[in-house]
Amino acid sequence: MFTENLAPNIQQPLTQDVMSWIFQLIWILAFIIIWIYGQRIQTALMLREIEGSLFKLKAMRDKGRQIAISTIKEIGKPTEDPTARVDRLLEHVDIGPVSLDPTGIIRRLEHIINVRDFRLKDEIRHMAPQADETQINNLTNLVEAALALNQIYKIVRHYYLMGKKTLSFYIILQIQMILPLIMRESEAFARALKAFTLGQPIGDGAGALVAARLMHGKEKRLIAQDTVVSEVDIEGRKAYVIKAKGPGGNVGKPGEAIKQILEENEGKVALIIIIDAAQKLEGEKPGEVVEGVGVAIGGPGVDKYKVEEVAAKYGVPLSAVLIKEGIEDVISTMRKEIVDGVEESIKRIKRLIRENTKEGDTVIIAGIGNTIGIAQ
Amino acid sequence: MGEGKARRISIFFITVILVMLVMSLVALMLAVETYVTQGNIDVMNTILSVSTIALSIYLLFQMRKRTLSLDFEALKVLTVIQCTKCNYRNVKDFEKGDYILKEVGSCPKCDGTLLIYSIFREVKEKEKSTGI
Repeated sequence: MFTENLAPNIQQPLTQDVMSWIFQLIWILAFIIIWIYGQRIQTALMLREIEGSLFKLKAMRDKGRQIAISTIKEIGKPTEDPTARVDRLLEHVDIGPVSLDPTGIIRRLEHIINVRDFRLKDEIRHMAPQADETQINNLTNLVEAALALNQIYKIVRHYYLMGKKTLSFYIILQIQMILPLIMRESEAFARALKAFTLGQPIGDGAGALVAARLMHGKEKRLIAQDTVVSEVDIEGRKAYVIKAKGPGGNVGKPGEAIKQILEENEGKVALIIIIDAAQKLEGEKPGEVVEGVGVAIGGPGVDKYKVEEVAAKYGVPLSAVLIKEGIEDVISTMRKEIVDGVEESIKRIKRLIRENTKEGDTVIIAGIGNTIGIAQ
Repeated sequence: MGEGKARRISIFFITVILVMLVMSLVALMLAVETYVTQGNIDVMNTILSVSTIALSIYLLFQMRKRTLSLDFEALKVLTVIQCTKCNYRNVKDFEKGDYILKEVGSCPKCDGTLLIYSIFREVKEKEKSTGI
């Protein structure tokens, strides 16, 4: 009787024990699977993240292409469909000079850059016969932005497909780690499309805007390709103010301009001040102005080299005034903080001239940057 | 995009995660039942089941397809017009053809020349200052 009462109590715990053991075994198996395939799961998740960004990059690339084609048709009124030409331009490749023997590399690089600029503008002229010089320059910038978006998309796609084929964790990790920065830059290029289409000034034009403010109302002359200079009296000194010729999208040849002015004046220049936009660090405010020493000219280095060479030849001091901005601001429409930075830069330039030169001296002030939307 | 369409994550991994989720829910139910019938807290089962539920939900969230926002933010761009002689100033929306230092007519106050002084976009501040 005792055992009869006991039997149901024993059977119930036993059934529960067996179930518990089965589930524990399944748990262990699950953890072993995660332990062995964990990296594969992580790889799949990372690929998924890259795939999502790739869709967005593709949309930006397609939008860039579409805007370039429609703007060329609207402004240039071509006789034939420019789509095929635009597609060819988006696949354009620049091959840099060989650096095994670096002698003369700057000269060779400059030649390649000049040919490239000429070729690009020539293609735009063919596609947009009705466009004037300002519009041609803006269309060139627009096509360059679309080209950049295409290149970024193709590079990310290359790593994505290579990662998928090889399932190599480290190949995928490389692109996944820098993907947020790539997306930031691509979004900046996408915003630039609008700015270039409408001819709005961009953040990179901060230096050019400083020069434009200084030289406004004075006589200008063309000193180098797409570059103008004006003689301005600042604080009793004779200032040669240089900027790219606007309001079309141009960067000009500031290096060549500074070199020519120095040679014209036989090196008798007391100070060279160069104003440009500079990338800010996280935590810094956009539009912050900093000063420094050196040649603040970006790009491949041709203009920077020329200025350094000629300044060293004549022993002319170099000052830099930098307006800080983020990557998302450099090629997007100029923001108010940068305009405020421009005003502050002008005060800094006047202070530099007052403190480092005397009355009657000659100074050179070069405003570096893309001068789209900024006349003189 | 590339050679053919991009394939999604293997069904195998989704199945593994779903099985893990189901098992952890069952284990949790068993732990609750043990507590109700015997008054004992099955600590091992509870911890395992709760952590596996959390892990499964996290993995599923990571894998779910997020809707991509492909619309680009519309920027509000303003043009500031200023008189070269007096302090007259006007702010308007940017129009195609505007550029800085463009002459845009005569000043209504002093008949001086009106110039476009600056063009900029308004930025809505998303980041709060952390004081660092």
